[in-house]
Amino acid sequence: MALDVYITGMGIVSGIGIGVDQTLVSLREQKSGIQPLKHLQTIHDLPCAEVDLSEDQMRELLNIPADEVVTRTALMAMLATREALQQARLTMDGTYRVAFIHGTTVGGMEKSEVYYFDFLQNDLHNEFIEAHDCGACTEKIADYFGGFSFVSTPSTACSSAANACILGANLLEAGIVDIAVVGGSECITKFHLNGFKSLMILDSQPCRPFDETRAGLNLGEGAAFIVMESKAHAAKRGVAPLCRLSGYGNACDAYHQTASSPEGQGAFLAMNAALEMSNLQPADVSYINAHGTGTPNNDESEGQAIVRVFGNNPPHVSSTKSLTGHTTSAAGGVEAVISILALQHKFVPANCNFTTQMQSLPFTPVINVLHDIPVQHVLSNSFGFGGNNTSLIFSNVQ
Amino acid sequence: MNSKPIYINGLGSISIQQPLSFEGIQQPLSYQTPHVRCVEPNYKDFFDAVQARRLSKIIKRAIVTAKQAVDDSGISMPDAIVTGTGLGCVEDTEKFLDAMIRNEEKFLQPTFFIQSTHNTISSQIAIHMNCKGYNNTYIHRGVSFENALLDAYLLFQRGTIRTALVTGNDEMTPNYFILLGRIGYWKQAIQNTRTCITQEQSKGSFAGEGSVSIMFSDTPSSKSYACLNRMSLLYKPVKPMQQIIREFVADCGLNIDDIDVCMTGMNADTENDAVYNSVLQDLFSPNEIGTYKHICGEYYTSLSYGMLLSAYCIQQGIVPAHCILGGVEKSGVKHILLYNHFRNRDHSLMLLSTC
Repeated sequence: MALDVYITGMGIVSGIGIGVDQTLVSLREQKSGIQPLKHLQTIHDLPCAEVDLSEDQMRELLNIPADEVVTRTALMAMLATREALQQARLTMDGTYRVAFIHGTTVGGMEKSEVYYFDFLQNDLHNEFIEAHDCGACTEKIADYFGGFSFVSTPSTACSSAANACILGANLLEAGIVDIAVVGGSECITKFHLNGFKSLMILDSQPCRPFDETRAGLNLGEGAAFIVMESKAHAAKRGVAPLCRLSGYGNACDAYHQTASSPEGQGAFLAMNAALEMSNLQPADVSYINAHGTGTPNNDESEGQAIVRVFGNNPPHVSSTKSLTGHTTSAAGGVEAVISILALQHKFVPANCNFTTQMQSLPFTPVINVLHDIPVQHVLSNSFGFGGNNTSLIFSNVQ
Repeated sequence: MNSKPIYINGLGSISIQQPLSFEGIQQPLSYQTPHVRCVEPNYKDFFDAVQARRLSKIIKRAIVTAKQAVDDSGISMPDAIVTGTGLGCVEDTEKFLDAMIRNEEKFLQPTFFIQSTHNTISSQIAIHMNCKGYNNTYIHRGVSFENALLDAYLLFQRGTIRTALVTGNDEMTPNYFILLGRIGYWKQAIQNTRTCITQEQSKGSFAGEGSVSIMFSDTPSSKSYACLNRMSLLYKPVKPMQQIIREFVADCGLNIDDIDVCMTGMNADTENDAVYNSVLQDLFSPNEIGTYKHICGEYYTSLSYGMLLSAYCIQQGIVPAHCILGGVEKSGVKHILLYNHFRNRDHSLMLLSTC
C-alpha cells in the first residue's frame, strides 16, 4: 500500500543559511558554509559549517529571555520548526493532534562539556543537568510552541532525523496523530568534534565527497523540520502539499560500530526497501542526495551500494555535505529539505570540491548545479554509527 | 485505531536482582542504599576475554539479555531491534568527556567516543546477532522504553515485521548518580528498598539500573507469556488521565472491572506517587494497584522491567503480594494495565493480557 504522507511545510537553519530562501540561494549558487570556526570554543583549527548566529542572536529572534535555560541545539530547532509551521499554516491551538519528533544525539552536551566538573562538585549550574538529556531538549522545543500531543526523540547518530521521518509516517498511517512535525537538530560540540578527530575522519581542508583524494568530513550544525500529513488532511486544511514521502527503508549494516561494510550491505538494504515501498524502479529516481560524508570508508561503501542498486550509470548523485558540512543528527532533516527544494525548483545541487574520479566507482557525482531539469523522485541517504542506515524517497505531487 | 495484538514470546533481564532469572519477582533482594548497581552474571560465559574487557557494562548486559530473550522465544533472528534508553552509554560518555576536559582536547583515544552514542546498544546487539533488519533507538526521559516499543508496535500494525526484539537499557554510574542527586532525584538514605513505597514516602527515589530484552511476535506460541493488546503515549494530555484510562480500557473491549491489576511506576517519591494516587483513586482499590520499582529501582527505562514482571505474572496468573499496594496477592490475573508517567507530562498506557 502506498504511503499517504504529504509534506506541507519545512524549515531549516544550517551553515548555508537561516531559512529556506537563503538555503535555496546558497544551493543554486554553490555557496559553501564551511569556514574556520567562530562560535565553538576549541583548540582545534578545523573547517566547519556553523550556523552563523550566536545564541544571543537566536534568543532575540525567538523572543526568549537571556536567563531562560535553553541550549543551542534547542534554539536552532525552534527557528527551523517555527518556519516549518508557518509554511504549513499550522497554528498550535489544539485543533489537531500533532506530533513533534526530534532526532538528536548530543542533546545538551555543549553545556555539559563546559560545566561537567561543576555538576560533580557544586550547585552552580544545576539547571543544565537536566538539559543534558535529549528528551528534555525535545520537550523544551515542543513547549516553546505548545499544543503538541505526542513527542519523541529518536537517536541513531547521523541518521536520527531520517528515522524521525519514519516514525512520523507510521504515526500518521496508524491514525494516532493528524500531523507530524519531524526532523532533527544538532549543534557542534567539542565532544563530538574531538570524537571525530580521535577517529581521524576530519579533513583539515574543505571536504571532497566521492573524490579519489577525499580525506575526511567537515562537521556542520543545523536544524531542519518538515510538516507531514495525509493528502486528505492537507486538503481539508486548504494547504497545498510541497511533495510526498513515497517510501522509506531502515536497515542495519551490523558490521562495525564506526565503519561501514566494504560492499555497503546496510545501505543496499535500506535503499532497496525504500524503492520497494515507493513502488519505484531504480530508473525512476532522478537524484540521489547521498550520505557522502567525504570519509574514505563511507563514500566507498555507499558508492558500491549505489552501484549495486542502480547499476554503473546511476541517477545524478551529489553530497550536499560539501556545502553544509556534516550536520550529524540533523543531516536527515537538512537533506530532506534540500531534496524537497530540488523537487520543487527542478535542479540538482552540486557536489562541491570534486576534482579526481574515484577509481573504484564507475560514476561521477554532479560537479556543478544542474538547473532546469526534471526532478521527479529524490532518494536521500542518512547513515549513522553502528550501521543505522536509513533511506527516504521524496516525490513530486504533480 | 484498530490494533492487532502482539505476543511476548521471550524475556531476558539483568537488574539489581538475580541476573537472567525471575527470582527477583518471587523473592526480591532488599537494599539499604539509594544507589544500587546490577547483579552481573559471569560474562566469561558469554564473551571471550578481549570482548569482555573492551565492551562497557551496559553493552555486555544488553547483548546478554538480548540473547536470553531470543533464545527463550525460539526465534533465531528478529526482524527488528529497537532500544529505549534514557541516558545511553553513560560510562563511556563520561570517560571521553573527562579525558577531553582534563587533557584540554589533546591525546584522545577514540574507543570511548565510539561506544558513547546512545545507539551503540541497539547496533552492538545487531552486530553480535548479525541482524541486518530494522534497527532504531529512542531516548526520551522516563518514557524511552515505551517510545521504542511504540516504534516496533507500529511496524507490526502495518505488517512490515513479524518479530521484534525491544530492549530497555540504562546504567547509573557513580557520577551520574551525584548529578541527578543534586536535582532531587534520590533519597539521602533508605531503610529497606523492598518496602519503601509504602513505608518511606519522601522526596526522591532510589536508583537502580538494568537491561531488559523482550521478544515480540505477531503470532502466539507455546512460549507466550502474554499479549500486548494496545498501547498509547500521551504528552501533556488535555483531558483528565482518569477519563483517558477509561476510554483506553473501553477501546480494548474491556471494562475497568476487567483489569486485575493496574501496574504503576510508583517509586516512593511523594510527588511522583501522588500523581498515580490521584488519577487511580476512583478507578482501582489498593489491592488492584501494582508496583515494581521496589524491585528494580528507579531509572529511565525501568518500565521495561515492569513489563517483564507483568508478562511473567500473567503467565503465572499471580501478582505476588509485595507487588500489590494493598499487600494482598492477586490470583487469577488475566489483564494488567501498565500505567507510567514521567513528571506528570509524559504518560503511557499499555494493556497486557493472557494469550
